[in-house]
Amino acid sequence: MTFSLGGPGVACSSMTVRRLAAGELSGEAGARAEAHLAGCARCQAAARELEAERRALAAELPFEAFAAGVAERLAAGAAAAPVRPAWRRAGPLALALAASLAVAVAAPLVARLASGRSPFVADDGTRIKGGASATLHLRVGAGSRPLDPGEPVPADASLRIGLAPAGHRFAAAAVLDEDGPALLFDGSAVDGPGRAFRWTGRRGLVVVVYDDRPIDGPALLERLARGGPGAAGPGGAAEVVLLPLSRGGP
Amino acid sequence: MPQLSVIPGGRAGDPGPSPVAAAPAGLLEELYRRHAPMVLARCRYLLGDAEAARDAVQDVFVAALRSLPEFRAAASPTTWLTRIAINHCLNVRRASRAAWPAELARLSRDRSERGIDPGPRELVRALLGVAPEEAQEAAVLYFVDELTQAEVAEATGTSLPTVRKRLRAFLAAARGALAEAFPQLVLPDPEELP
Repeated sequence: MTFSLGGPGVACSSMTVRRLAAGELSGEAGARAEAHLAGCARCQAAARELEAERRALAAELPFEAFAAGVAERLAAGAAAAPVRPAWRRAGPLALALAASLAVAVAAPLVARLASGRSPFVADDGTRIKGGASATLHLRVGAGSRPLDPGEPVPADASLRIGLAPAGHRFAAAAVLDEDGPALLFDGSAVDGPGRAFRWTGRRGLVVVVYDDRPIDGPALLERLARGGPGAAGPGGAAEVVLLPLSRGGP
Repeated sequence: MPQLSVIPGGRAGDPGPSPVAAAPAGLLEELYRRHAPMVLARCRYLLGDAEAARDAVQDVFVAALRSLPEFRAAASPTTWLTRIAINHCLNVRRASRAAWPAELARLSRDRSERGIDPGPRELVRALLGVAPEEAQEAAVLYFVDELTQAEVAEATGTSLPTVRKRLRAFLAAARGALAEAFPQLVLPDPEELP
């Protein structure tokens, strides 16, 4: 007999239910997830499972015990760092920043913090980690700064893509939004892209493709138009990085 | 076509490092309320032991606090923490390798002696022990956390082809192990995974 190991359904994902419950989905995405949940038995089961997890946590590990354990570990430096490629590449500066934050956080924990501002308010964006990556930079005066994850693109902003090709020789970048795909760049991953661009859509994605062979820009546009961002990769050793663009608001 | 205009010669200067905000008061309580239920459940699922899971939850949040800039920059804090929990627990499990084959044998016994079929998650957990290490995280994110292959690629910073390759590797290893323990079970064709 064929045995299912689980996995996402056509429109169902327990992770989506959890993200909805954690307040990570807002606007269109949140409304869509809520509407789906209201009529989907499978996702309602996932929501009930989440409620059971909450009850189990309160019974097995109340906040006071949890906070004391975390504070003790931070103070002792006992917990091992997770195995994550991005960490290993983070370099001494990022590791030093993380370490200084750990110290900053550890001290107030011991004093048992009162409730304060949510740390999640501005965290709707995407940063891709591991392998090849890419970042969006916002031109400010004569210089630039990284566009923060989830940060709305200001009107008339000049954007540039920063490439981190992780050894790939070629790259291509396109914008995909409600009006379809448009090519920004195709060529050398080391020298490009050399041009800034303006984007005036409402919601979209910058799709960056890295490959060891030259990337055909028009063919990339055709794949994006036909199959969306999931069809961006030409296959082989190619890697695809997606960077969301939004104007903010619903 | 998108409303896009390219500005020739508009190369911008090199960006500086991202500013790092101080940790706000109440951060840990907020993290606990929003994410600890899921992290505890995932740790209990992967470790199969209540006490080890409680320890693991605290280790996971310490790791999160130690990489707060990454956490706050994550597209989905829930997915980010899930990854940390999965990798932490997989490391703990690898350290006690002897437990892996025993679980598959137990499931096989339950089926042959008591007629109890394994649940999908239970079987995935047992099969993690026979899968290549690099395929284990993708298998949990896909089969248990129900991320799509594109979402797994985004969450792990890898490409879609890499995710497909890892899921294929997991299913190939699983097929080999099940041929002995569950000869009647047929796993899905990796090419047909949604």
